Amino acid sequence: MVALDLAQLSVREANAQLRKLGEAGEDVEILNPDARHHIGVGLTAPIRVTVKGSAGYFCAGLTDQAHFTVTHNVGWGVGDNMYSGSVVVGGNAGAIPGVAIRGAEIVIKGNMGSRAGQVMKAGTLCCVGNANFMAGYMMYGGRILILGDSGERVGEDMSGGEIFIAGNVQDLGSDAMLTDIASEEVDSIREFLDRYEIAAPKSFSKVVNAGKKLRYGTPERPMRSIPFNSFSGLSSYWNPKIQEDIAVKSQSGRYRIRGYGGARPLPHLSDIGFRKDLSGAGAERNVIEKVRMATEIGGINGARPLKLSMPVMIAPMSYGALSRSTKYAIALGSAMSGIAENTGEGGMSDAQRDAAGQLIFQCLGGRLGWNIHDMRRADALEIYISQGAKPGLGGQLMAKKVTPELAKIRGIPAGIDLRSPSRHPDILGADDLVIKVEEFREATGYQLPVSVKLGAGRIRDDIKIASKDGFDFVELDGMQGSTGAGSAEVIDNVGIPTLPAIIEALEALEEIGARDKIQLVLMGGLRDGVDAVKALCLGADAVAFGTSVIVAGGCISCMQCHVGQCVTGIATQDPEHEKRYKPEVEANNIHRFLESVRWQIAALTDGLGYDDVRKLSRDDLVALTPEAADITGLPYEPRDQASYGREAGARS
Amino acid sequence: MCGIAGVMYRGNQAFDTGDALIRMLDGCQHRGPDSTGFALYAPEATGRLKLRFFIDPQNTTDRDSAIAAIRARLVDLGAKIEEEAEAGDNYRVTVHFDGDVQKLSYEMEHAAKVISIGTSLEIVKDIGSAHDVDDRYHVNQFRGTHGLGHVRLATESDVKPEASHPFWATGFADVAIVHNGQITNYWKMRRRLEQREFEFTTDNDSELIAVYLADKLAQGNTLQEALATSIDDLDGTFSFLVSTKDEIGYAKDRLAAKPMIMYEDDDLVAIASEEVSLNRLFPGKALNTREPAPGTYATWSRSI
Repeated sequence: MVALDLAQLSVREANAQLRKLGEAGEDVEILNPDARHHIGVGLTAPIRVTVKGSAGYFCAGLTDQAHFTVTHNVGWGVGDNMYSGSVVVGGNAGAIPGVAIRGAEIVIKGNMGSRAGQVMKAGTLCCVGNANFMAGYMMYGGRILILGDSGERVGEDMSGGEIFIAGNVQDLGSDAMLTDIASEEVDSIREFLDRYEIAAPKSFSKVVNAGKKLRYGTPERPMRSIPFNSFSGLSSYWNPKIQEDIAVKSQSGRYRIRGYGGARPLPHLSDIGFRKDLSGAGAERNVIEKVRMATEIGGINGARPLKLSMPVMIAPMSYGALSRSTKYAIALGSAMSGIAENTGEGGMSDAQRDAAGQLIFQCLGGRLGWNIHDMRRADALEIYISQGAKPGLGGQLMAKKVTPELAKIRGIPAGIDLRSPSRHPDILGADDLVIKVEEFREATGYQLPVSVKLGAGRIRDDIKIASKDGFDFVELDGMQGSTGAGSAEVIDNVGIPTLPAIIEALEALEEIGARDKIQLVLMGGLRDGVDAVKALCLGADAVAFGTSVIVAGGCISCMQCHVGQCVTGIATQDPEHEKRYKPEVEANNIHRFLESVRWQIAALTDGLGYDDVRKLSRDDLVALTPEAADITGLPYEPRDQASYGREAGARS
Repeated sequence: MCGIAGVMYRGNQAFDTGDALIRMLDGCQHRGPDSTGFALYAPEATGRLKLRFFIDPQNTTDRDSAIAAIRARLVDLGAKIEEEAEAGDNYRVTVHFDGDVQKLSYEMEHAAKVISIGTSLEIVKDIGSAHDVDDRYHVNQFRGTHGLGHVRLATESDVKPEASHPFWATGFADVAIVHNGQITNYWKMRRRLEQREFEFTTDNDSELIAVYLADKLAQGNTLQEALATSIDDLDGTFSFLVSTKDEIGYAKDRLAAKPMIMYEDDDLVAIASEEVSLNRLFPGKALNTREPAPGTYATWSRSI
């Protein structure tokens, strides 16, 4: 037994020692904890840790196998995302105890705070005292034992798992119901309570999901094939898109769901052009050797940066929306071009990890597929707050795509219409967010960059918060970004277009003198190297491509990503459909597209007279429309588009 | 977005409330690195009002003329200046005043940047950490009966001293508030109060809560009653602490979205966003704390 005294050591130092002691198999006592945050975070060894006193937020968070005892209280999020092992808390627990656990046992001897077990997937959370508001909120699996009273709205929007309550069931949450309890279940509860030396109550009530909200009443029907030009709604008044829209709604009686990008014409990077005549750009053969493009992202606060061969990365897209083969092909293609891939929601696969040279691991509110082991093998971590295509809303994955295999990696019931939470359980403000970021850094030994994905909404405020909360970079996503499935109304009508988004973001950072404190990666409907160079000129440190990479890898832009029967095998989980997708072939297609982007960036940078992409500046741009001039503050200089990179010039 | 803290010692003697709040706020400074503030209460001196004003630190000439203008305005309004001092970027003055405090407050608001007015309340707030503000204003030397503290991460308004917390209930002596959260029916509530000719000096939702509660108190409600209606009337996510010259209280929204934890013993009651702040008052000791339930409120009075 080794004692670590937090009156002498910082939590960071103590956690580093704890991990070493874990490897050595040595049990540990933590003295003078004084309710400090992040005690034990990231420990993945089967040792016993006794915290003599109270612990703060995320005690035992992101751990596996370890057994914790806390003699007094814990703050928010005890046992966050714990895989296996246990935590026994002698006193009370703050809000969201057992948040997102994947199999651990958590016992609270006192009372527990609100939203206990939110988005938990497996394991047992047991509270000897009373629970509070919304226990079991959005839980996907596992069980919660409450020996006291349930609190209000117990089981709110749970989609799986069971809640057993010995005391008074005060009030059932939305889509929760009481049901009969089986004798094996009682036996199993007794066995659990015996193991933790807790007297078993006489009887329990059992709360489960009532099954009224797990599936949409009518499935979204496939739409007719409408060419994108008509789909953008420009062709005529009662155009085919409007007709289709009405026809679909006449069957489903609700908002439409579809995939792909926004169809509505919006101010975009194509509305700005280059000041110089670039019609001759790229005449030189060796521009790629001539122009320095290698870019490091994420290292400004001391983490190990992503090393990109050009200021380009892959936009986050989930395994779930896309097939496993597609994610694999993108990982291969990105590695071939020396840039970073991003997992998106829904976890990391071995094949993707092995294929990707550098991989960003994304954490969303449902914590679907999120875990300490994959965090450790990632090259950067990313907290998703929102997405340009549907800012403020969670993802949708229709039942067709929620296969048993996919459900397993996400830790959710198979075959539900998965509507991912739009918020994180433990990030309800900038103040909580800073503690969350610190948890990720603790869990990974302060080695990995931590970024934030922001869909453009309240950008001026959000970007300031991002810089104050210590993120290494932000992935800023405009309204032209795509999605695997979202409400069609939201995709076309909600959000801030990419062009004003970056302008607002940069202005806000200038206002607080923080431009050098965070790096900015722009995405949201960027199509090629021309768009990339414009974004770099405006002030982005790098750009990310999503849809164009998918299209390069075989997408036919039918806008039916949500249906799950993608004919190209990209946006599907059906093995029969996925068979059509040839990852090695598509990886090469993606690679070739990325190389065309590289050439465009080099040729345009050279054409503008620079030998380094970091020398590109706003002064190289003009606005081609009055609207773009108004948005960007660039001089309005309409000119011959063809020569200035709007459509034809400098495309390889 | 922030961290809050409050402490009240039982009995009527003076305690090191300044030092206690500095320690509590240092414990949760991670929740808000932009600015820090204190609402400090000392036993009142009858008939005397303490006023604090922001003065532009950059310009000495302006500074002198600003102070001269405040002095002149106070005398105009019938206040008799008894004591005055400059502290950091503040001008602090004690006056003897028997008139209508609300009228005096509004008049002074129109003439200068008022931080607080009270018989026992003084607010100290500025950009930087608890220790930064202490270095500038010597908060640690303050002895009193109770107080509130706040660390702020500016999200929707500027990082300026006047946008920092605590907020004084503009127009009402001795009422102060610290708040963590966001009031979503801010404009609706503000318009209602403005129709009744209350004035607001910022667009900050915390000032609204302070004025809302002070108005209820002025109408003869107890602090308990005012807090009870605030939970129904205010929409959004909030955990806030309020203090008057004799009482301290909290209210917490029904969604339980913002943290709050409290500790009580024979000597004091302390409330904070996080237990780590409470533990700063009792290093090395495991505390029996309690988390207030969603949608609840409570008050403590100095006479207990």
